[in-house]
Amino acid sequence: MTERKPVEHSGRALALCLLAWMVPTAGHFALGRRGRAAVFAAVLVVSVLVGVGLDGELHRVVPGQPLSMLFTLGAMGLGAPYFALRFLLGYQGVAEAAGFEYGTVFLLSAGLMNLLLVLDVWDIATGAKD
Amino acid sequence: MTLYAASLGVFFATLWKRARRDQVRLFLKIFVSLMGGALLLGWLMYFFPSGPPKPLP
Repeated sequence: MTERKPVEHSGRALALCLLAWMVPTAGHFALGRRGRAAVFAAVLVVSVLVGVGLDGELHRVVPGQPLSMLFTLGAMGLGAPYFALRFLLGYQGVAEAAGFEYGTVFLLSAGLMNLLLVLDVWDIATGAKD
Repeated sequence: MTLYAASLGVFFATLWKRARRDQVRLFLKIFVSLMGGALLLGWLMYFFPSGPPKPLP
């Protein structure tokens, strides 16, 4: 059994995770994984554009609906784009739109994918993964 | 649905695999599973039509 290296520079790793959360794929760029970062950026951009194009819901907390908190946390995983869409552009989705459900899934998935990228940045920054 | 399956396939193949061959394999697995699963579920739901039940005769 191989011994895991002790975590080093955890402050730097945390800062990179914060960067990766706020600016999707910026963490991978900062770590020099530019090819991967470009692929992830393309997937996230397509997901958000399709989600918004289909008028999907950008989740927010609804009083009396505890599950909406989980959905909102997932969607907030998108970082700055979530806040820009919600507060700068006032986007919230159109429940009557034909593609509302599909768009919602794309937007939520984009947030969850970015959260996975944040974990990946942590693993790379701490040496647990290449 | 196709675009969604392709997006997830590309994402997870890039995230979890390093060798190009492994990436292609994982992409195909995810893509085929999602598309096949959706089509299979859609076909199974044929037996459970939507809408209110028919009134009793």
